[in-house]
Amino acid sequence: MKDGKKMFVLFETVLAVLVFTLAFLMLRGSGEKNVPRISVIIRNPDDDQWSAFRYGLRMAAQDQGAELFVVSTGETMTVAEEQEAIEREIENRADAVIVQPVFGDDSEEMLRRAGKKVPVLLVEDTVREEGKICPFPVIKPDDAAMGRVLAEELLKDFSGGLGERTIGILMETAQSVSVTDRLRGFSEALGDQGAGIVWSVSGSRGEEGEMLLKAQPGVDFVIAMDDSSLATAGKCASANDLHGALVYGIAGSTEAVYYLDTGVVRCLVVPDAFSAGYQSLTAAVESTGGFQRRLPCRTVAHTVLRRENLFSEKNQEILYTMSQ
Amino acid sequence: MRSRYSSFWEKVKPTGMQSVIMLVFSVISISIMLILGIVMYLRFSASSRQEMIQSTQKLMEQAGENLEDYLIGMRQISDALYYNVIKENDFSDQDKEIQRGMSLLYAANRDRLKSIAIYNQYGSLMAAEPVASQKEDPDVTRQDWYVQAVSEMENMHFSTPHIQNLFDDDAFRYYWVISLSRVVELTNYGEPQSGVLLVDMDYSGISRMMKQINAPANGPYYYLCDGNGRIIYHMRQIQISNGLFRENSRAAAAHRDGVYDEVFEGERRKVIVNTISYTGWKLVGVIPYSVFTSGMFDTRYFIVMLMLLMAMMLGVVNRVVSVRISSPILKLNTSVIEYEAGEKPEIYIGGSMEIRHLGHSIQQSYEQIDMLMRKIVLEQTERRKSELEALQSQIHPHFLYNTLDSITWMIEGEKNDEAVFMISQLAKLFRISLSKGRTVIRIEDELQHAVSYMNILKVRYKNSFSISFDVAPELLSCCTVKLILQPLLENAIHYGVVGMDDCGEIVVTGRVSDKMAVLSVTDNGIGMSAEEVSCLLTDSGRVHGHGSGVGLVNVNNRIQILFGKEYGLVIESEPDEGTTVSIHMPLIPYTEENRKILEKGQRTGNEGW
Repeated sequence: MKDGKKMFVLFETVLAVLVFTLAFLMLRGSGEKNVPRISVIIRNPDDDQWSAFRYGLRMAAQDQGAELFVVSTGETMTVAEEQEAIEREIENRADAVIVQPVFGDDSEEMLRRAGKKVPVLLVEDTVREEGKICPFPVIKPDDAAMGRVLAEELLKDFSGGLGERTIGILMETAQSVSVTDRLRGFSEALGDQGAGIVWSVSGSRGEEGEMLLKAQPGVDFVIAMDDSSLATAGKCASANDLHGALVYGIAGSTEAVYYLDTGVVRCLVVPDAFSAGYQSLTAAVESTGGFQRRLPCRTVAHTVLRRENLFSEKNQEILYTMSQ
Repeated sequence: MRSRYSSFWEKVKPTGMQSVIMLVFSVISISIMLILGIVMYLRFSASSRQEMIQSTQKLMEQAGENLEDYLIGMRQISDALYYNVIKENDFSDQDKEIQRGMSLLYAANRDRLKSIAIYNQYGSLMAAEPVASQKEDPDVTRQDWYVQAVSEMENMHFSTPHIQNLFDDDAFRYYWVISLSRVVELTNYGEPQSGVLLVDMDYSGISRMMKQINAPANGPYYYLCDGNGRIIYHMRQIQISNGLFRENSRAAAAHRDGVYDEVFEGERRKVIVNTISYTGWKLVGVIPYSVFTSGMFDTRYFIVMLMLLMAMMLGVVNRVVSVRISSPILKLNTSVIEYEAGEKPEIYIGGSMEIRHLGHSIQQSYEQIDMLMRKIVLEQTERRKSELEALQSQIHPHFLYNTLDSITWMIEGEKNDEAVFMISQLAKLFRISLSKGRTVIRIEDELQHAVSYMNILKVRYKNSFSISFDVAPELLSCCTVKLILQPLLENAIHYGVVGMDDCGEIVVTGRVSDKMAVLSVTDNGIGMSAEEVSCLLTDSGRVHGHGSGVGLVNVNNRIQILFGKEYGLVIESEPDEGTTVSIHMPLIPYTEENRKILEKGQRTGNEGW
């Protein structure tokens, strides 16, 4: 009799515990789900060059069910400003941060400190250390490869030999690891094909950039290493201020495409910014999962655009992502 | 393994009635509840799934109608432009009229249109709205919309979305449009020519409509594709192009309108197809089965919780019912155990009618057993007492003293023969009295004992009475309790014939009557009244006045203990006429076996022989 009573009490207790557990699970389940919040800190995010990247971020946020927050910043940014922006986002309960690093001595240290608080993913390399590949997780285009491809396209246009033709290289800043990688790749691919790089200048943004470019000696080819450089070169070429130089470049904005479409630019290497944005956000969301996943170092593809193939089915989609 | 389970079951197996009832009730009720729960869940999930499919279908029908309205609007613009503007005017001298007509139509549909353009048969731009500079060499004749229009001149053609590659835009913008193209007949310098009318719809119009029905979360989603499965709108269009996502649009495009089940990329899903009229486009709704499952998650929790609560409640109910049923039985059992242990003399009476009846029955049984036990004990006591008295009668000292005194007197009077006779009679008397300790003897021996006894008493009473024996010979070899005639003869002498001055007569007869052996002792003494007779066999406390002290009651009891209640003494008496005391016994042949059986208090089975 006593055993029966014990069994009865035990049975009812077990059931009561199960009911409470289920009720707790139901209440927890009915509450707001924990949506990962990913903050993105890039310079001048509204700029045309980030359109495809932002679209990729947005699509990934939609697919991953994440909250995306793009921090408004100016065209330039110091390490301190970037640190402040990152800390503010961490305070605002960002689960991961996607950052375009700023060139500076303290940049890496600042990013390391931030990385201890939340996962930090870069969209460009920081200062490259010799023998040390990928000091930070980064998803970006293969800059050196793009530089090489650009050189190859240039050579292809002139049957592999440039002869006595001259080249001028324009870039926004020489301190960007991306730009230096592109330049390195370009120079390596160009090799000893005869063409001489007459000048290589940085500071291409805005009217100062146009003035700078116009002041350079005439060359046969102007090679633009980034979006702002290509925009400046395109504008100058449209105004016939480049003394008939042909423009080649690496860029991913609709402005760059427009210059290609209008024949001002001869060839364009376009990084797959959509994939960079999509993969960055996906990796950032995954890093906020139950266990800390190691963030990846990954490169995305690039496409060679020419006027002839600009409106092919595949390239139209690239234009579509840029236009969003 | 099996023996381990069985030994475990042996350990936990409920043994108590209450536990068994509770376990059985619980198992049955929980099983029923489980079945009900599962059936309810399946039914609910099926109806929920059906409801979701129906709501999706309705949503798609609505969206399809909106799309059709939108596309019809585009066609109406094209028709209006063609029939009201192009056909009515000559491009050579009425270009302003044409431009105005196009402007009016464009202005009225600005939010839906990107541009309107008319090209001649060579691909040259004849007119466009909004007025914009054409690109240097767009070569429209190689563009898909132009090729389609020319290939099927009688139809209007909707293209898939594409970047508009016609006009120069200084703002560096590229527009995503869907082109509606048709071959038109235009007039130039009075000459009819063929041309192509192009209405570029803003893709964002369709995109907006599709976005409205597409939820951002991972739920059902909708996409639009043409008849060949080429995507027109998909919320993951670029992911599909980049290989990050795959869509089974070709299969969907091949379906007619309806609901289909498919497994794509290892995922089961429902696909609902709705065809947009005229264009052949397919509006496709996709509901992954995971959506049904996730939608049912809370329901599952709820049903499981409901089942657990019901199990708790049933547990309580089962407990109450099992206690209610088993409690009276357990109390009855406890009272029986206590009764058996001698702790409590009463049996529990309570609970339902059946259990009360059971209690009453057990109570009565115990009472009967008690009564029988007491009776047996009494009988045994009586038996022992009778035996003791019989033994005492054998060695009655007064009787022995008188007899020996008579013998002494005979010897002194030199009546040697008489003395020898007396001694031999006394010897016979004692031999039969002892009978080797047996209780049951032959009737012949009992008669011999009676004869010896009477011979001794006749000497003592100087032949003041007569005695005769008349016994049927077939009775002689039957069984009898020993020493039952002696008390009767003693009573006959003492209460019947003493003092009757030589006329006292005692007759001992033996007959078979109604399959019984009947031995009778009849005297012609003073007799008794009927009241006295009726008291003789019940008044066991009567004080014996004379004789050996063995009373009629004792004789009657001994006969009944040995042979049963249906046998015993029958007394008949008439005052002043005499008394007859009959011994009724069964006719049992005397054998050693029968003797032993009778002495053990059992029946021989030969009664009535």
